[in-house]
Amino acid sequence: MNTNQKIASTMLVTRLRQLLVAVLSVTFGISMYIFMNSFMAGVNNEQTEITFTSMSHIKVYNDLPFDVTPILPNPEDGDGTVLMINNARNIAYTEGIKNADAIKDAIAELPEVTAVTSQLNQNVFIRNGVSKTSANLSGIETLDEHQLFGTADYLTEGDLYELDRRANGIILGAGLARRIGVGMGDNVSVSTSDGISKTFKVIGQLETGAAATDKTKALVSIQTARQLFSKNKSYATDVMVNIKNYNDAPQVAKSIATLTDYKVEPWQEGNSQLDSANILRDILALAVSLTILIVAGFGIYNIMNMTVNEKIKEIAILKAMGFSGSDVIEIFLTQSVVIGLIGGLTGLVLGNIVSRVVDNTPFEIGIMETLPVEFRTYDYVMAFVFGVIITFLAGYLPAKKASKLDPVDILRG
Amino acid sequence: MTALSVDHINKYFHEPVSFHVLKDITFDINRGEFVAIIGKSGSGKSTLLYLLSTMDTDYQGTIHINGTQVTGQKQNKLAGFRNEHIGFVFQFHFLLPEFSVLDNVMLPALKLKKKSKEEIEHKAMELLGMLDIKGQEYKRADRISGGQQQRVAIARALINDPAIIMGDEPTGNLDTKNTKTVFDIFRQLAKERGQTIIAVTHDDEFAANCDRIIELSDGVLV
Repeated sequence: MNTNQKIASTMLVTRLRQLLVAVLSVTFGISMYIFMNSFMAGVNNEQTEITFTSMSHIKVYNDLPFDVTPILPNPEDGDGTVLMINNARNIAYTEGIKNADAIKDAIAELPEVTAVTSQLNQNVFIRNGVSKTSANLSGIETLDEHQLFGTADYLTEGDLYELDRRANGIILGAGLARRIGVGMGDNVSVSTSDGISKTFKVIGQLETGAAATDKTKALVSIQTARQLFSKNKSYATDVMVNIKNYNDAPQVAKSIATLTDYKVEPWQEGNSQLDSANILRDILALAVSLTILIVAGFGIYNIMNMTVNEKIKEIAILKAMGFSGSDVIEIFLTQSVVIGLIGGLTGLVLGNIVSRVVDNTPFEIGIMETLPVEFRTYDYVMAFVFGVIITFLAGYLPAKKASKLDPVDILRG
Repeated sequence: MTALSVDHINKYFHEPVSFHVLKDITFDINRGEFVAIIGKSGSGKSTLLYLLSTMDTDYQGTIHINGTQVTGQKQNKLAGFRNEHIGFVFQFHFLLPEFSVLDNVMLPALKLKKKSKEEIEHKAMELLGMLDIKGQEYKRADRISGGQQQRVAIARALINDPAIIMGDEPTGNLDTKNTKTVFDIFRQLAKERGQTIIAVTHDDEFAANCDRIIELSDGVLV
């Protein structure tokens, strides 16, 4: 320890109460920063997880073309021609994806992609005697589907893979089954918009927690669906892709778009409300926690300022003895940095404790059991860095002031 | 040999009104001299001392200390110079109250870093012994009596063996007995160690016993 640090530490330990208050304000600021950000990250994750139980990161489907070129070019000015087209329409000439398997294989080659599956989605009517309801029938590839959405885990009854073994098997959303009053083993009749009907046996029930899905979803195997809608072997309406990091979806979507002419849609495009809600929550958490840290910084500034005023004679005497301005800065800056480091470390511990307590707080709504908290090293590093930077700044200003003091003014009295 | 030479010093105060404090002051002080600066309140004697101490740099004219010109040097450089060559004793002891007596005495030497910590400690103990403050070394500086504090301040001023010791009314706050002690110490330092002593004082008896008296009246040498 050099002389300046010795002076700094003596000044600190002889005013333990002030030291404690200053340390506590940093501790509080940093722990709140950690807690707020961990909590928000947890909420965002939970939200995204629920979303991705029925939605993939990237979806490939047959969309109406965006830019519709006019059937006739605009007449050139001045030749007196009038262009009139009545009732122009943008017509989809093809339906769905004819060669889904080829596209699927090509996408699976990309390094970022973790899972691919194709689906055949159509709206149908499901009847059980007199009760009927419209439903969203999905023909799925069970193995790949489970890999993307963890579908098998959401089955309350039955076995997802049973669909592959029984061509007349169907799995209904829990809400849907209740609405038409069927249970396991009951028969339902599915009719398509083309007027084709087929009888299925209920072999499972699905509960994802998203009510809209549970009330409309019906699953059959994709072969059965192709047969029902009289489509070719490789037909699908959607190819669903999951990637390593869902935030990269727009970039990966771009590279998939080079493989196919079909519409490639990252999840953010169709669900900007989710994306914006996530970003807004992050901004809110950051704003609140930074505010807390800055308030803590003002606390330190205040305490250090008081210390400088209190020690004004000592500063003058140190300077008279030959301590330079930079020595004085070092003495006072050391004090605030020590406060920052102690407060920072205890803040990390306290932040972790608070996060753990909240993580274990019961919160039984939907599929959640406790409040969601995400533990990220990044938050802890940032909290510590911000905390130390703020205490440094808060200590620097009073230290600078102290270094500028003219000893003559003070010693003359 | 000249310890300190002052050449045509002029000093103005600008606040609250412009005021000519020191008017064309020139004098030399020799090594080992014990000098008292006297004068009425407002005559500029303290102002002169602070110029000599290198803490106040706002003046015209030049000051040499030990052959080094201190006029025109940067504050940080002057701080180092003070540390090594000038010892200070004030009217109020101005010790650092949270530190022990020993730490207070050692600080300027620890700052100078010319000797090891053990040597400095040994030297500080020796000075405290010489000034008759044995047995109080590890007490906090604000827990000893006023006379003792002033003697600790002197020990602190002596720790780096400065060429010049300056005192701004060093006995102003002491009773007769302690004043005599402090005076004897100064006397002894000038005589035995050849250290130059410059003290601003109000005390006529104190001044009368010095080698030389510099008297100021309205900013002019008398």
